[in-house]
Formats: sequence, structure tokens, C-alpha cells
Amino acid sequence: MTTESIALPGRGEGIVRTRGFGAVSGRVVVWIVLAVFGILSIVPMIWLILAPSKTGQQLNDNPPFSFGSFEQYGVTWNNLLSQNDGIILKWMANSVTYTASIVVISCVTAVLAGYALAATTLPFKRVLLIITLIAMIIPPVALVVPLFVEISAIGLYDNPASVILTSSFYPFGVFLAYIYFSTSIPTEIYEAAKVDGAGEFTTFFRIALPLSKGLFGMLAFFSFSAAWVNYFLPYVLLQSQENFNLSVGLGFLFTSSPALNPQNGAQQSLIGRPEIALASLLLAIPILIVFIASSRLLVRGVLAGAVKS
Amino acid sequence: MFAPYLILLVLFGILPIIQATITSIGPSIVNPAGGLQNFADVVADVRFLPALMNVVVFLLMYVPAMIIVVSLMSLLLDTVQGRWNLPLRLTYIVPASMTGATAVLIWYFMLEPSLSPYRDALHALGITQGNQIWRQGGLAWIFVAMAFFVGAGNWIVVQYGSLQSISEDVLEAARIDGANAWQIGWRIKLPLIRKYLVYMGILVFAAGLQVFVEPQLISGSVYTGIAKDWSLNQLSYDLAFQSNNLAGSAALSLMLLVVCIVAAIVVIFRTDFFEGTGVGKK
Repeated sequence: MTTESIALPGRGEGIVRTRGFGAVSGRVVVWIVLAVFGILSIVPMIWLILAPSKTGQQLNDNPPFSFGSFEQYGVTWNNLLSQNDGIILKWMANSVTYTASIVVISCVTAVLAGYALAATTLPFKRVLLIITLIAMIIPPVALVVPLFVEISAIGLYDNPASVILTSSFYPFGVFLAYIYFSTSIPTEIYEAAKVDGAGEFTTFFRIALPLSKGLFGMLAFFSFSAAWVNYFLPYVLLQSQENFNLSVGLGFLFTSSPALNPQNGAQQSLIGRPEIALASLLLAIPILIVFIASSRLLVRGVLAGAVKS
Repeated sequence: MFAPYLILLVLFGILPIIQATITSIGPSIVNPAGGLQNFADVVADVRFLPALMNVVVFLLMYVPAMIIVVSLMSLLLDTVQGRWNLPLRLTYIVPASMTGATAVLIWYFMLEPSLSPYRDALHALGITQGNQIWRQGGLAWIFVAMAFFVGAGNWIVVQYGSLQSISEDVLEAARIDGANAWQIGWRIKLPLIRKYLVYMGILVFAAGLQVFVEPQLISGSVYTGIAKDWSLNQLSYDLAFQSNNLAGSAALSLMLLVVCIVAAIVVIFRTDFFEGTGVGKK
């Protein structure tokens, strides 16, 4: 953030000098709009954090932003654990394993491919780049049914590997890496290394890789945010409850417990609305932490830095 | 070096499309002869047209809302540099952590008049019963609100980033020429980030076309069946997993996929977004 505030002190100075009544009231309106949008953005998160501290009854009767008790968080958690012998723990572990595998495979393949496109002699480079761009713009959801057809045909249905492998295809990462290696690092460096007798791999590992820590951060950020909340693909590719990730598991709690669906009321279940809220919170918190920790990455570069050449 | 990615690209980018194409013209439960008749059967399905209309209405509200609000908010955010800028950006990112099932849960509570933090506002609008909101015909609004809530904040922060790439010299020149903050935003900053907004618009359109999770979960939980086969993707899912008509499902998926591919090609070859990357319009 420091570089930014040094770089931009000039903004708004002209306005300060000519500030009249109109300008001041204009500023007030701007601040109100920005603040209201900020409040609307965090209200649901505050609600979600408070909800598991209350019993289902308190959730109904007490004001939306009231706090129950810290003990109730424990009670809610234990209720959640009661579901199918603590399957929530399995879902969380699955989410961690799947996401970690996807981040590693997707980032490594993307960095290698981006480098190959940017700095090596690769046949059909333009065609490969165009296919990558098309694949990057198509939302992953569009391929879910085709992937299901294929995965069933090769016998990987209900196998966690199906989710990990299909989600590791990361054309956006390849594009980011390609732009990074072709703009942020001067091509003369690669050429100099090759003149000195270094092969493609030596150049990559000795020269390019040490210069791409920032790139890895950005790739991992986007890969993580997509993989952690992945819903439709695992929902379609996985069948057994013990293979679900947290996102699909939460959807399952949603549709199978009486919490939100009174028609399931006949079942004996401890899963009520506070328990569902706690599971949602467990899904939201890791991604929130990663977002906030990476907010600096998001400011520069995602589009402007990536595409400006 | 390209090989590991190429394997993933072929296996999970290209092969599924080929496989789905073969499946889509194969024999189906409603059409044992197979062939292109499968596509016609899907289009003629009684559920197809309503789902298409739902998605069109959804997109007509969602895409313009995203473009207008994101442009406006990022421009406003750009006018307030200083110590409140970062905290504001952080609050805007928060909703992006509440996607999918979480978003559905949140919106159920936000819109349920007896439970909502906004219950006074809802009562003021004359809404005292949940079923005044959750009714067929009014669902597009709710799904737009959900998708907008999850996506807008993140895009505001991203487009704010785009605004930071505008050279200070350009803005200074405009100020010397006597442009006020409004004119600078409207006449200078907005045109300069136009291509990023177009790119966002197309990504948002392509994602919106595939809307699935929100209607699927609402329909499966709170109000059973209220949004059954509401979107095209839900119909595709039902064809595959309820109607046992995988060929029809593949046919519908391919039709949606073609629209997305066309959108992608438009971005790549008909806009200046990828200018200078070695592929786009020169």
C-alpha cells in the first residue's frame, strides 16, 4: 500500500482548491454511497458470524444482530458433528486435500506452460494461445455435463481424482503466466542465458522461476478461490457422502435436514439453522482470510497489470 | 514444458467436448434413432422455453446492473484516496466469500420478513410473508440479487485497480483544462477503462448464462420445487440425472457452450482487450 499512497498524492488536489458548497455536498454524497455499500456488504457476514451463537429458537425470536453465548457455538458445533458420525470433519478434510492438490497442480502446470508460450520456440504457439484464451473465458460450469460424460466413460465417477484433475485445468493461470513472462521479465535475459549455453529448463529454473514469486502468489490466489468454493463440478462428479467437499456437503445439509425444509421434519436431526449457518461460516472464513490477506494483489494487476503490455 | 498443461487441456478441455458431441447425437430414451433430432427434441421440450426466458430475463437485469454499479462504484472509490480507501475495499470483498450454498442461506434470511435484519424495510414495502417474495415469476430478481451480491464487490475492487493504471499526467492535464471531478470520471476515466468493463461484461454474461446453484438449492430446500428447471443448466442436469436422457443433456450443454465460445471469440478478435498479447486485433 505504501507505494500506492506515495504515487498518488496528486489526486483530488484540484478539487480541494476549488471546493465550494456544491463540491462539499458532492463529497458528502460520495461518502454516503461508499459507506452504505460497505455496510450492505458486511451485514450478511456479521449476521453469519452471530447466528451460530444462538439456538434455533433464539434465532427466530431475538433481534437479528443479537449475540447468544459463546457456549452455544460449542453446542452448535457438537450438533453439527452429530450428523453422520462427524462427516463434517471428513468434508473439511476433503476440501483441504482437494484444494491443496488443485492449487499445486494447476499453478505448476500454468507456470510451465506460460513460460513455454512466452520464452521458448513452441510450434503452433498462436493457436495454443487462442485456445487457451477461449477456454479461459468459458465459465467452468459450461463443461460440467461434458466432463461428466467423459469421466463416467473412463471410470473415474465418484473418485476424488476426477474433481482434482478436472479442476486443475487452469487456462486463466496460463494466460497470467504468459503475460508475466513476456512483459515483466525482459526477453533479453532469456536470450542471454541461451547464448551462454543454458537449455530451456536451465533458463527456466535458474532465471525465470526465481523472478516469479509474485506470479505464484497471484496464480495460487485465483486457483484457491475457485477450488475452495467449487460446487457444481464435485456435485455432479461425486456421489458418496464421504467424498463430498465442504461446499457440496453444505448443499447436502441444506436439502436433507429439516432446518430449511420442514418437509424433512419427520427425521430426527440436530441440524437446524444455527448448524447450517456454522457450516456456511466454516466455508466462508478461509476464503475471506485469503481475500483480505491478498487484497494488495487485487488492486494492481489483475486486469490492468496483466494485459497492459 | 508445455506438455503437462497440454495434457490437461486435451483431456479436460477438448476431449469432453468431443465426447459430449458424440453423446449428443447418439440414441436417447426419447429418440432411439439419435442424430440431430436430439437437439430438436430438447428445444421442443416444454421446459425449454420457460427456462430460456428465465435466463434471458436474468441476464437482462444482471449484466447491465453489474456494469453500471461496478463502473460507478469503482469511479467513486477512486475519488477517495487516503486511509479510508483500503478499509472500504476490504468490506467490498467480504461478500465474495459467501458463494453458492452460503449465499442461498444468507438470502433466505435477509428476505424472510420475520427473520431479516431488514424486516422494517420489508414491512414498509408491504412484505410481511416470505411467500410474497418467494413466488414463481418473481424469482429472477432474487437470483440477480444473489449473483450480484457475490460478484459485484470483487469486480469493483478489480476495476478500481484498472483505474490505477491511468497516468496521473492525463488527469492533471484535464484538471488544468478546468474539468471537474464528474467530467474527469465520465469523459476521461470511464473511456480509458472501457475495455476492462467490456471484458467483465462478457465474463459476467457467460457465467450468468450458466446459472445453476442458486435456483437448484432454493428449489431443493426452503421452497421445494419452486425453481425446478428454472434455468437451462438445471434442465440439462435434470435431463441427465432425472430423465435419464444423457444425449439430450449433452445437446443442451453444447448449445450453451457454443454461445460461450462465440462470446469468447468476440472478446478475443472483436475487442481491443487482448491487444498486444500476440493474438488480438492489431
